[in-house]
Amino acid sequence: MTNLGMTECDRNAKQDALITDLKNKESSDFVVENLFLSCDLAMSTLKRVTQWQAFSRVWHLYDAKWQNPFDSAKLIIKHLQGLHKPFYHPMSDCGDMVVVTNTKDIALPGDEWKKRVYFHHTGYPGGASWTLAWELHEKDPTMIVKKAVYTGMDGNLQRRYTMQRLLLFPDDQVPDDIMENITNQIRAPRPVPKMMTEYPEDLMKSFPRVSQFPKDFVLK
Amino acid sequence: MVFQSVALMIRSKGPDEFWKKRRIFKLAAHYVGRRRNCYSIAIRNVHRALAYATTGRKLKKEDMVELWKTRISGASEEHGLPYKHLNEGLHRSSILLNKKTLADLAIWEPFSFKALTQIAWTKMREDGDADAKAIDAVPPNNVFTGSSK
Repeated sequence: MTNLGMTECDRNAKQDALITDLKNKESSDFVVENLFLSCDLAMSTLKRVTQWQAFSRVWHLYDAKWQNPFDSAKLIIKHLQGLHKPFYHPMSDCGDMVVVTNTKDIALPGDEWKKRVYFHHTGYPGGASWTLAWELHEKDPTMIVKKAVYTGMDGNLQRRYTMQRLLLFPDDQVPDDIMENITNQIRAPRPVPKMMTEYPEDLMKSFPRVSQFPKDFVLK
Repeated sequence: MVFQSVALMIRSKGPDEFWKKRRIFKLAAHYVGRRRNCYSIAIRNVHRALAYATTGRKLKKEDMVELWKTRISGASEEHGLPYKHLNEGLHRSSILLNKKTLADLAIWEPFSFKALTQIAWTKMREDGDADAKAIDAVPPNNVFTGSSK
């Protein structure tokens, strides 16, 4: 189909031939060839829409209940920056939105509640302060997850904008205008065990006991 | 006062000097300020830039490999298989595609890439790899890797 290397006369002759071809017999080959030609010239509608969909922001939901915030941060960062997409590039804006719920129920490993210290400086002399993780969590139950995500990312100009795509909620009360956008849930790495209080009363009563308490035993 | 006479020619070191400097100034043409106008400053910066360019040629390749790795692992984890298992499984199946090709397949031929992940995954499971078996999900049972099992 290429016109390269043709003389003017050749081109005219070919054009005439094509026109007569179309007029006379409406050859299906000609229509198919032209279809391919138009695909080459411009991006087809299908491809255009595919690209829009690929680069649209997906809203992910992450339930932080009983999860390690530092392990969670790795997973959240991956989705915030778009690292989970095959067409990721650090300079293309392909990151997603992540909504994190139940941040008040996070589980820090070991004795980190007591040992982990968050540093803050007001900028004034003597303005340094050190806050323990449990104190910070009492002040703002979303702060530990937020800081875990923030420090988990490389410090560059994009970091603050990436953080804007992270929405944190202390409990499962998420506004409807945010909830309606969510189309995916990120699987939490740890299984959430059921608490004793969540089992029905009759099931607990009927559960087989290995031994009975002595009659004179006083339960606390 | 500007002397536009033979006196000027005394300081000129001749045509060779002119062309030598011109060659450097052309490389410094896009710099700002005295870095592009003064030869002694321009030559310093051009030398530094050429040194950076030399290391940059190597770094560029490393950066691309890192990007392909990120892309492949992203695409592979979409199908539930970590990158290391994909890599290992493909090698064991004698599918010797390089990272560039795999990354391109992941973008432009997603179904072919999915098939590759399933072959690698099945192969790893057939070989009895403990890590691959520890993954919650399993590949479909109609994938054939060509081994006797």
